[in-house]
Amino acid sequence: MKVIFKIWRQENTNTKGNFQSYEVDELTEDMSFLEALDHLNEVLVTKNEKTIAYEYDCREGICGQCGVFINGRAHGPHDNMTTCQLHMRSFRDGETIVVEPWRASAFPIVKDLVVDRSSFDNIIEQGAYISAKTGTAPEANSILVRKEIVDKAMDAAACIGCGACVATCKNSSAALFTSAKINHLNSLPQGKQEASKRVLEMTKQMELEGFGSCTFTGACEVECPEGISIINIAEMNARRTKAKWIG
Amino acid sequence: MYFRKSIIAITGLFLCLFLIVHLSANSILVLPQEVARGLYNSYSTTLRESPFIKIVAYILYLSIVLHVIYALVVTVNNRKAKRKGYAVNRFRENSSWTSQNMGLLGITVLLFIVVHLANFWARIKLGLGEGVGLDSEGHVDVYKVTYSLFQNSYYVLFYSLLMIPLGLHLYHGLKSAFMTLGFYHKKGLRILAKVSLIYAGIMALGFGIIPIIVFFK
Repeated sequence: MKVIFKIWRQENTNTKGNFQSYEVDELTEDMSFLEALDHLNEVLVTKNEKTIAYEYDCREGICGQCGVFINGRAHGPHDNMTTCQLHMRSFRDGETIVVEPWRASAFPIVKDLVVDRSSFDNIIEQGAYISAKTGTAPEANSILVRKEIVDKAMDAAACIGCGACVATCKNSSAALFTSAKINHLNSLPQGKQEASKRVLEMTKQMELEGFGSCTFTGACEVECPEGISIINIAEMNARRTKAKWIG
Repeated sequence: MYFRKSIIAITGLFLCLFLIVHLSANSILVLPQEVARGLYNSYSTTLRESPFIKIVAYILYLSIVLHVIYALVVTVNNRKAKRKGYAVNRFRENSSWTSQNMGLLGITVLLFIVVHLANFWARIKLGLGEGVGLDSEGHVDVYKVTYSLFQNSYYVLFYSLLMIPLGLHLYHGLKSAFMTLGFYHKKGLRILAKVSLIYAGIMALGFGIIPIIVFFK
């Protein structure tokens, strides 16, 4: 299998980047997308050219490191999937594959396809945790939580912070990410004590980091590898209003 | 961000309510000529003379102005959040064209409103341009203003075609306004999506077809 990678190359945050095309041969349909990029880098090394910088860690769809924009979609052509789970069989032989880094002012480009997602960490730091000392793991049934609430909290907790929601959003809104983190903890009894503070401070930080506002296009929930629903954003809005006016 | 979006949502919902009243009144226009004239003129006279409607009218003007200003402010802010776009962006695969182009649709609707106000509001309320006569009962003949405007096929085309962007704007606007204001009931949202579609359909079709009916009367 042969493809042409058209990849965004940028030396660092302050330099201007541009696209460069690479014809890559000797690929198989069973290769993952990242393996195809690995192969391209190996070829570049043998040619004594600069390798392409891209991020990955687990390569099993749970770490959220491997976010890139592929052929006009976050994480490639499939819905609800990470880049590492994408395989070359999703592309045609001889196809040109355009690979771009996440585009958002709050995610500055570090190098090539690598962006700095520290803005997510800054939001997390404003309250995506509970400050109580929990000691060792308690007996599971000592705090009873209704099944549907557990399910909802766990669905939100599934967020891996990959940034696809921000990347695909026309406004670079971090509403899906932030709402997932807030709703996860605010739904559960352990998170209730700091619920109001959490929602107010995390949403405030989200604005400070320079993310845009949510227009409910729904693109984020389609690209989210964990399929987190945009209803979470509406719920976050309700929680914020309640925290602001009622407390 | 929240305050701005909430203002857009609240004023938008108020404008949605206003459109229902507006369309109900417009439906008088499809009645036979003389019945329509009498009803339409006496209805508009009642509106103009009511102090309650006067207050509502000011809320309406304010809503349009706030909706537009805050939409502009939010859009500028959103552009800043994404300074550089993608070389290739297949957003149609993950979202509707309408939801991605609310600004463009909004500007089109605003252009329509400007022309619409110049056609009616400026003549009847501000007394600008060609004077408006009285009907046999002594009411300001708003019907004649409407009827004669829609004898011009260009205006009919303009008024009818521009109801398409209005319908699209309303369809996305109505449901997302509720979500912006924090409505997150899962089943309720499914119903809301259908209600938005039906509402937008009725508004676009209703407002769009009346000029055509008047033209052929």
